[in-house]
Amino acid sequence: MLALEGVSREFANGAGVRDVSLTVPAGQIVALIGLNGAGKTTLMRLALGMLRPRAGGVHLVGEPLPGLPAARWREVGALIEVPLAYPELTARENVRIVSLLRGLPANRIDSVLHYWGLDPVADRRFRHLSLGNRQRVGLATALGHDPRLIVLDEPSIALDPASVIVLRETLRQRAAAGAAVLVSSHHLDEVARIADRIVVMNAGRLIGELDPAAADLERVFFQRVLADDERRGAEPAPAPSAGGQQPGAQPGAQEEP
Amino acid sequence: MVVQESCDRAGGVVIAAARVEALKLTRSLVGLVATAAIIGGTLVLVWGITAALRSGNEEVIAQMGPNAALDWPGLLAIGTQIIAAGGMVGFGVVLTWILGREFTDGTITGLFALPVSRGLIAGAKMGVYAVWVLGVSLALTAGLGLLGAVLGYGAPTPDTWAGLGRLLGLGVLTGAVAVPVAWVATVARSVLAGVGATVGLVVMAQVGVVAGAAGWFPLAAPAMWALDPAHVTGAQLALVMVIPAVFVPLTWISWQRVELDR
Repeated sequence: MLALEGVSREFANGAGVRDVSLTVPAGQIVALIGLNGAGKTTLMRLALGMLRPRAGGVHLVGEPLPGLPAARWREVGALIEVPLAYPELTARENVRIVSLLRGLPANRIDSVLHYWGLDPVADRRFRHLSLGNRQRVGLATALGHDPRLIVLDEPSIALDPASVIVLRETLRQRAAAGAAVLVSSHHLDEVARIADRIVVMNAGRLIGELDPAAADLERVFFQRVLADDERRGAEPAPAPSAGGQQPGAQPGAQEEP
Repeated sequence: MVVQESCDRAGGVVIAAARVEALKLTRSLVGLVATAAIIGGTLVLVWGITAALRSGNEEVIAQMGPNAALDWPGLLAIGTQIIAAGGMVGFGVVLTWILGREFTDGTITGLFALPVSRGLIAGAKMGVYAVWVLGVSLALTAGLGLLGAVLGYGAPTPDTWAGLGRLLGLGVLTGAVAVPVAWVATVARSVLAGVGATVGLVVMAQVGVVAGAAGWFPLAAPAMWALDPAHVTGAQLALVMVIPAVFVPLTWISWQRVELDR
């Protein structure tokens, strides 16, 4: 459903992702975890075409991303950083405009608002909503059309415990219905409850997976990240070359002169 | 059958995008304030200058020169000068907000995972802008017509109707020459950059007039034509449309290819 193959995209400041390969098959919830700046959001932006990779490729709902027909985006639901919601519109109007753009029937709007507990604030302007309600509007616009591929960046930010449970159940139900889910989070304990796989990201690379059922996940996670940092720190810096280094190539992997 | 369905679907997407953009503009404070400021501000200014002329204010009479007349031609000349400068500022600010706000507010991220291409969304934005410019220009023209009647200038002559028609054309053409700000706001991903470009357009139009290139200078040609149609040829006026013909596709392409790399 979502496949990144050898994807690299680096920025001038050295941040970015390098040689990332990741598959999120139908019916699976994959959690992406990492420290701040690990490259999670960049990876998700690459997965959704917000950034174009300098190397590698992305397949979305079975098709290569650059040529994905516009209509196929109807199968995708995403929330990256900022909800698709406008301050001058009410919660109801925000759900309505996204439904319009996706070609959904108007009679679905009330049920989506109800599902996300937005009935009491449905006719309040988005700018006057609490942070938690804004995030719920964002989730309603991202997931209200029952997408087959879901990509969420830190979706539980600002949500109250009840909304976190609704989100968790929604993702489980969508995955059970065959949807592929990629979700990033800082909260290991939270993603461990729903994820089929936990993928660890550090310094722009995927450095392994964690077993969601394993004990003391946080300790294992930090050990992995620390070991990766130490390994990278111990490696010699890559020598500059006129031809440049291949994206994703490991530092220190050059041939001896 | 399949082709027909595809066309229906494509038409539905275009209409949906236009409805969404129209709702955003009509519900926004920027849209409401700008509409009121352009229409109300112009009419109040025209009325104020007319009142100053009536009271014999020598400074205003000197500034208005040959247009300091209390009749239809005088009223239309005052209206033309205000719309030429104020209209470009108002239209430019609204257009730059329509496109640039998606970057400033961060909502551009949500416009990626939609079954509507970003180029089409940009097209819908510029389509809604064009309809809004036409509506504002119609309201301005009707308002100036009413103001003339209230001021007791009598029934409009054929020349007066022609002058009112040119005012409507001036509004529409001023909206057209403001289109480059859409591209600037997109490339810079900033509302402020678009506002700066709007100010730049106004300055360039003034410099063009002072330099004497008004007729062949698309930014100034609409106002020159509205004031004195004999001094602007059809070719010079047609040249004005080169600006939107270049910058609408440029903006469309920029939206289609935009990356969130900043």
